Formats: sequence, C-alpha cells, structure tokens
Amino acid sequence: MFEKTRKIIKYPRLTQDSPKRPVNTDHIIGKPVIDNALCDCCSECITRCPSGAIYRDESTKTVEINYNECVFCMLCEEVCPLGAIRMTKEIYLAERNLEEIGEELRRKINKIFGRSLNIREVDSGSCNGCDYEINALNNPFVDIERFGIHFVASPRHADMLLVTGTAVRNMEEALLKTYNATPEPKLVVAVGACACSGGIFKDTYASGNGIKGVVPVDVFIPGCPPRPQAILHGILKAISLP
Amino acid sequence: MDRLKDKIFEVFSQSIINCNINNKNELCLEVDPDKIVGICTYINTTLDLPLVSMFASDERSLIGRYGVYYVFSQRDEGNLLILKTGVDSTKMEIQSISATVPGAATYEREIKDLFGIDSMGHPDPKRLVFHSNWPSGEFPLRKEFEAGYKPRLAKEDIRFTKVEGEGVYEIPVGPVHAGIIEPGHFRFSVAGEPIINLEAQLYFVHKGIEKMCEGQSIEKCLYVAERISGDETFTNALAYCQAIEKIAEVKVPERARYSRVVFAELERLTSHLGDLGGICLDTGYGFATFQFRMMRGWAYAVADELCGMRFLRSVCRPGGLRKDFVAGKERRILEQLEKIRAELTDTIHIIRANSMFIDRVENTGILDHKIAKDLNAVGPGGRAAGMDCDIRRDFPYEAYGQLEFSVPVYQYGDVNCRMNVKIEEAFQSIDLMQKAIELMPFGEVFEPIPPLAPYRFAFGLTEAPRGENIHFVMTGEENTIFRYKIRTPSFCNWPALCHAVKGNIVPDFPLINKSFNLSYAGNDL
Repeated sequence: MFEKTRKIIKYPRLTQDSPKRPVNTDHIIGKPVIDNALCDCCSECITRCPSGAIYRDESTKTVEINYNECVFCMLCEEVCPLGAIRMTKEIYLAERNLEEIGEELRRKINKIFGRSLNIREVDSGSCNGCDYEINALNNPFVDIERFGIHFVASPRHADMLLVTGTAVRNMEEALLKTYNATPEPKLVVAVGACACSGGIFKDTYASGNGIKGVVPVDVFIPGCPPRPQAILHGILKAISLP
Repeated sequence: MDRLKDKIFEVFSQSIINCNINNKNELCLEVDPDKIVGICTYINTTLDLPLVSMFASDERSLIGRYGVYYVFSQRDEGNLLILKTGVDSTKMEIQSISATVPGAATYEREIKDLFGIDSMGHPDPKRLVFHSNWPSGEFPLRKEFEAGYKPRLAKEDIRFTKVEGEGVYEIPVGPVHAGIIEPGHFRFSVAGEPIINLEAQLYFVHKGIEKMCEGQSIEKCLYVAERISGDETFTNALAYCQAIEKIAEVKVPERARYSRVVFAELERLTSHLGDLGGICLDTGYGFATFQFRMMRGWAYAVADELCGMRFLRSVCRPGGLRKDFVAGKERRILEQLEKIRAELTDTIHIIRANSMFIDRVENTGILDHKIAKDLNAVGPGGRAAGMDCDIRRDFPYEAYGQLEFSVPVYQYGDVNCRMNVKIEEAFQSIDLMQKAIELMPFGEVFEPIPPLAPYRFAFGLTEAPRGENIHFVMTGEENTIFRYKIRTPSFCNWPALCHAVKGNIVPDFPLINKSFNLSYAGNDL
C-alpha cells in the first residue's frame, strides 16, 4: 500500500494538454508534401509509391498526394531525384466527409452529444496498428476520458463507431450489423489509411477499398497508423469540439 | 547438417529424389509423395524435429506441378530441413500427416482452402481460411486466379463442433468484441461455468496478403511485410529482409546488425509491457495497468526519438537500415531505458506482493507440455510450458550471436508462468539494447542489394515478441516475388490457446487470451 501511494505521489499527472497545447513535434514524421516548383513530373514517385497514393492531376498538370491512401512510408521523399518531396511534421489530417451530412443536422447532433460521447471500436480488417493507437487513447498520456468520451462494450450503447481496417470480405456483414445496431443519431469515423481508402491492401480478392463502400463515413483520419493525438483530433472534429 | 542428412538417408534413401543444401543451413530434400507420411513421422517422432511451417506453391510454370513444402527445424544445431513433394494438377491430393504430426492439421486445412489440394485422411478437413461466404471451387493462390477478382457471395454450410449432454450450452462471442481488439469468433461449449470446448473461428481479417505480394516488386513487399501485424512491424520486416539478403548473398554491415537488435528488442519491450498491463487489466488491477501503460508510453517515446515512428515502420530495408538512426542518440536512449528498468523493477515488486492478483494468475489457463510440443507452441506461451526454443539463440541472426542473454523457460504453463517469462524477457530486452548500443561499431548501415536471380528461395527467421516467425520468399522474374509464405507465431499458438482454456471458467478467458496476446492480423493475413 505504501509503495502504491508513493507511486501515485511520484506521478501525479502525466496527461499532455493536447490539443490545447501542441505536442512536441521534434521527432514526429507527418505528411509528405510536394513542392510543385521543383517537381518536373518524372513520375518516379507515382510508380514506386507502395499504396498508389501519388497521382498526376491532369487538370492542373501537377503531381498530388491523396492522404487518405498514403501510408507515410517516406519512400517518395527518398526516391525523388529533385528533392521536391519532403516529410513535414503535420499530423492533424482529419477531414470531414462533406457529402455525408448537412451543417444544420450536424449542429443538432453535436448538441445532443454535448460532452458525453460513447464510442464503439470496430476492426474491419486492419493490421492492428490503428487498434493499438486507439487503445493508447486510454493511456495516461492522452486520457480521452477527460473530454467525456468513453469506449463502450456494445454498439447499442454507442454514439460513434470508430472503424479501422479495409472492410474485408469476412467483416463486411459484421460491420454492417454493428452499424445497424447503433442507435440514431450516430457518427462514423474512419481511422487509418485502410479504413479511408484501402491503403496498401486495396483491391485484393478479400479486402475492400475502405469502409465508405459499406457504411456512411463522417470523418476520415488518415495515417498508417495515425498517432493517438491525430485520432483524438479527428474524434473532436466529428463532434465539432476545438 | 551432415549427420541429419545421413540419418534420413539411412532409412529413406530409396524415397529421396534429390538433395541439396541451400543458404548454408537449409537442407532441401525432394521426396516421393507416396512416402511422405513415413518420412515426416520419422523426422517428427524419432528425430524429434518439430514441424515449423508447411505450405504449397503453384509451380506449374516451373516444374509442371504444385510443390508442397514441409519445413522442420533442428533447433539445437540451427538447421532447417525442407521436404518438398510434387502434386500433379490432375490429382490434387496429398497424404495427410496430421495423424502422426498433429501440428500439421491447420497447415493442411489452409493448403486445401488456398490451393484446393486435398489432404487424404485428414481428421477434420473443414474450412480454415474462408467463411461460409466463399464459394467452393475458387482457390486464390493458384496462379490463374486474378489477384483482384472477388468471387460472388455464397452461403456454404460450416458447422462448429457440437458438444452435447445435459446442461451443456453454447456461448457465441464476436467477431466484434467488447474491448478494443481485433475481430474473431469464439464458440464456447460450457456446462455451468467451466469451459468444455472452445472453437475459435478466425480469419475475419483475412486480406489476402500472400496473393497480393505475388508479382509485386521486392521494394513494395517490404511495406506490406511491415503491415502484416501492426505491433510486430519491425520483426516481420526483418524476417522479410533476411530472406532477401540470403537470396542476394549480401552481407549486412556490422553497425546495421547491431542497430537491428536495438529495434527488435525495443519492439519486444513495448509489446511485453503492453501484455503485462493487459494481464493486470483483466484481473481488475487498475493501478498496475496504468503503471505498465505509462512505461509503454515511455517505450514508444524511445521509438519516436529513434526514428519518428511509434511502430518502427520504414526503418528496416533489405541490405540494412534506412539511415543511421542510433547515431548521436545513444546517451538519451540509455537514460530512458534506465528509467523504464527502475520503474519496471518497482512495479513488478508491487504486483508480486499482491496475493489477490497472484491468486488469479496462478493455475489459470494451463497449457500442457505435451500439447505445446505437439502443436509447436512458440514464444512466451511455449516457453512457459517447457518448450526451450528461441530463434535468437537457436538460429542466431543479426548481432545476437555476439550478445549474451539467457532464455527463460518455465514448466507449469499457467498465466503466471507466461507472465514471468515476459517479465524476464522485458528486462533482458533492456540489457540487450544497452549492450548492443555499447558494442555497436561505427560504419555504414546499408549495403545495396543487386538484382535478384529468379526462382531462388530462402527463409527469414526472427524471434518476434510473440515467438518464432518464419517467412519464406521465392523470387520471380525481374525482381518480383513469386511466392511469399508468412508464418507468424500466432498461427502456431491459436490452437494451443484453445486447449489452454479448457476446464477454466468463462470469465478467465480474457485473462488467458491476454497472457498469450496473439495477433489476429498476423494469423489471418
């Protein structure tokens, strides 16, 4: 008992105050960006990108990166002969799916969820990297419960589904059933490149191209896997908290 | 190696068609398919070599037949014994060896699902990889099957093992679980509280990784290998790189060999800290859980500082490392490791003094040594049940040969033993990292890989945090992959887990499951 109390006194608070204060980005590797002034469209990065995230935009005649597909492997930075691609420290990449939900409706939903949001996590065929990062939301450093956000055991108790994985053949039905078991109104957040687009696993005989083909998605969180802070940012974005 | 060869030739010289030695320690024998049961039984029971992998390969374009490979491991001498038989595409059947080599049962079911090669005399030939939605007659690993072709949704009949009797009922659990974990379906047959039988239906996250890699460039497959199982990123990438390096006959620079030890051990430490936290969580021991989560957070911070990636992705590559990650950070890392060691020592001291906690983990989920041996249970799960095996010692790779460490082995096989193995290994990981950083010579960390000769194969072996990890890579034309067979430790340990829960009460299942901490993604591929 004495030992235990000693530990509690020694480590009173470990939680980082993100997103209010930015996290230390000294070592972080974030999204790659292309400097179009340097790029001569040699397409070396396009052919070698393992997840096919880099494409040539014919309308603007530039090379672009689809962050929903990017696996953040840094190969493009390495192979670019002109040094036009570099990795930044930007990790907050969550984007709202604008097609899915009207502004008015969202405001209403967010009012209902207020400061109590219950989340059910569904792995629809990930490598388990994203799942470990979602688990990390509960660790003392991120501590998602301080926002009134809880992970619950059943979709019937949930307001939000946090889905990882590519929606593989064997999980499609389970994902749909989980979605249907979640009471309205509900939000769906896709976590990681696999859930956003299929990532590196797209187009095999057993894997799907992201979860948007199975359930409607409100927010996409790119990354392979996204850092816990990036996932937290995406969840807060879905309920319009800063 | 020669002794092993002589022993087999003494008895079976008539049945061996061809014999050669590949990559110094891989003895490859091509054998007569009709004699395979006898030879495998002799190797497994008389010579006492475990079956560590078994797979088929569509080699009709090369030899006009399918090849089936049986891989046995001679752990005390660091050799692999590979038996290969041919299967005619008109016949499509092999003799099942499951009756005498029980560990082969799951491999044979896998081969049937992926290639359509029947195992004659298999005791339980039902589907493994595919669920009821997969139509019969489609075999994705045959070469004519297009990688992107998605067969129609079918409704085939797959039955679970039925236990009958008064008061016996079933509890279906999953695929979507209550915790934040991967999907899998468990069917418990229960009478009262104790579990009579557990059948695990896995492969919910089957993505078709092996097919996807065929015909792809060596470079791309590295990134796929990193994503086989998220928390085993480095070790899977390393096994893949080792196989490629063996084929290319490239020697990795010393500095890279030591750096790889640092990364592999960091991954093991992170994984074990998570597992220990999980065991505490499932016994309702909140204080200890958060202690371990804190330490795991520190371990991730070390990873971040080393390479900017929490999961050690994009660190390894064939021929060495991406860059010299360790240079200039030695002192900082050693400091962090000391901090983790001190905290871990304190926390272990606290949890071991808690009799209520020890009461939960002792005598729970006992894995019998005989079962562990039959099923080739590996890693901490196997070592807790008396399986004295560790790839780092038995097949020394990277700089492990030059570093001193011991392999903890316990005999009783309960949750407590598995926990103790993990605790000891966590401390050793810290030691190994410190030693590797101290002994690391200066120099290059990368040796370029020349274009690879087609149709050569090699095995990459690593000790993942969960145990023995074996990757088979066969090259194709123009620097592509012809066949990539991944056998992660989880594949061996899932059947062992189903045996370990028998007789335990249902509420102890999460605890037993956590003490093994198997990867669904690594099993399902």
